[in-house]
Amino acid sequence: MKRALLFVLCVTAASAADKPAGKPPCCREALPAGHYTDRSLYQLDSKWTSDVGREVKLGVLRGRVQVLAMFFAQCEYACPILVNDMQRLEQSLPAAIRGRVEFLLVSFDTERDTPAALRAYREKMQLTPERWTLLRGGADDVRELAALLGVNFQKDARGQFAHSNLITVLNPEGEIIHQQTGLKGDTAATIAALEKTVAEHEKSSAREGQNRVPDKNP
Amino acid sequence: MLTRAKVFASAVAALLAVCASAGEPMVGIPAGVYRPFFRGKDDAKEIAVAAFQLDAHPVTNAEFLEFVRVNPKWQRSRVKRLFADDGYLRHWPGDLDFGASEAAQRPVTFVSWFAAKAFAAWKGRRLPTTAELEFAAGAGFDSADGAKEPQFVRAVNRWYSTPAPDALPAVAAGRANFFGVHDLHGLVWEWTSDFNSALVTGDARGDSGLDRQLFCGAGSLNASDRANFAAFMRFGFRSSLKAGYAIHNLGFRCASDL
Repeated sequence: MKRALLFVLCVTAASAADKPAGKPPCCREALPAGHYTDRSLYQLDSKWTSDVGREVKLGVLRGRVQVLAMFFAQCEYACPILVNDMQRLEQSLPAAIRGRVEFLLVSFDTERDTPAALRAYREKMQLTPERWTLLRGGADDVRELAALLGVNFQKDARGQFAHSNLITVLNPEGEIIHQQTGLKGDTAATIAALEKTVAEHEKSSAREGQNRVPDKNP
Repeated sequence: MLTRAKVFASAVAALLAVCASAGEPMVGIPAGVYRPFFRGKDDAKEIAVAAFQLDAHPVTNAEFLEFVRVNPKWQRSRVKRLFADDGYLRHWPGDLDFGASEAAQRPVTFVSWFAAKAFAAWKGRRLPTTAELEFAAGAGFDSADGAKEPQFVRAVNRWYSTPAPDALPAVAAGRANFFGVHDLHGLVWEWTSDFNSALVTGDARGDSGLDRQLFCGAGSLNASDRANFAAFMRFGFRSSLKAGYAIHNLGFRCASDL
């Protein structure tokens, strides 16, 4: 009975894919590894903790387009602008793709950005739980993710981080398809990239949908 | 006196035995201070480096072959593009073949940062940090401060101004430095664990700003030691790397905590 109910819930969640279900993106189940493409960031085995305290692998984010930046909560100058850039992007998304794009912030600050600190940051910046995921991780894992994204960073003597300002778009497979460099960068190009990848994904899922059982891991 | 010497000798022997049991020889590097070559106004002038162990020479083709034999996912035909570009191990004729026997003792190159990191983890070691590698590389032939040895400085500058040969020499062919480490100059560039550290500080700027800071001639005015051409070259080289790059003259060696 319980299992049947769960199944119904999953199906409901899948059919409501374009409406935020009120559940943070990081709280979905990850698909088993080994299915990822050769260039997918989701191949990473590292574990991350979200601001809701949940331990996840990046693979949980598979299936939706992600707009990703690395930041740290106590950043005084660049990060608030970077996050604002992402919020502006969120607000200016065309209606057709709004709800199909999610936002991901990963912290450099392995010491101070605890889940509670990330939660406070979410509230301060008013980041909607349905679309935004905030993650923290171990120092080596942060360094590795940064290396994959091409983000350079270094902690200075005051405990602040100097870092590249880079907004990365991942397609639903977790592959890097676009990067917006610098603060207040070219959002038009980023939106175009988002529209393109959402359209491609819909086309391919429609194709697959014809001869495949419904996805049990929404 | 004799007893003390004996105790010392046996301690050294024990240490050597430990190193030998872990595989390739490592050399103890004493604690010291690394003065970053290029830094922003908020960066520390000096970074304390704790004592650590460093491979006496870069990892060779023969050692890397053993690694890919045991870890098939790092073989050339199987590696995921995310972790190494298509240059990966391209100088090897096959997945488990580094070619001519004289290649065995040459440093392995065409390896990405991820592959280097995986090799180190497999050995129970890690990649050295930039501070560690630079500190070790700062030693001359006869002292911990190579900048004060004209003969050393000349030898180093000669290498950095000479293009890499097609066939690299074997590891440990050159003279070891004061710490007993070979090839920190004169053979290949090397990966560090934090090669992707930022280049300018204060608060961060856009990437284009980073590049300008780095490659414009004025950039070197921020450098701590303008005479240190070699350090500038290494700094510039590292900052131009991406983690998936697999190129001809870039190898690595491992480090470990004491």
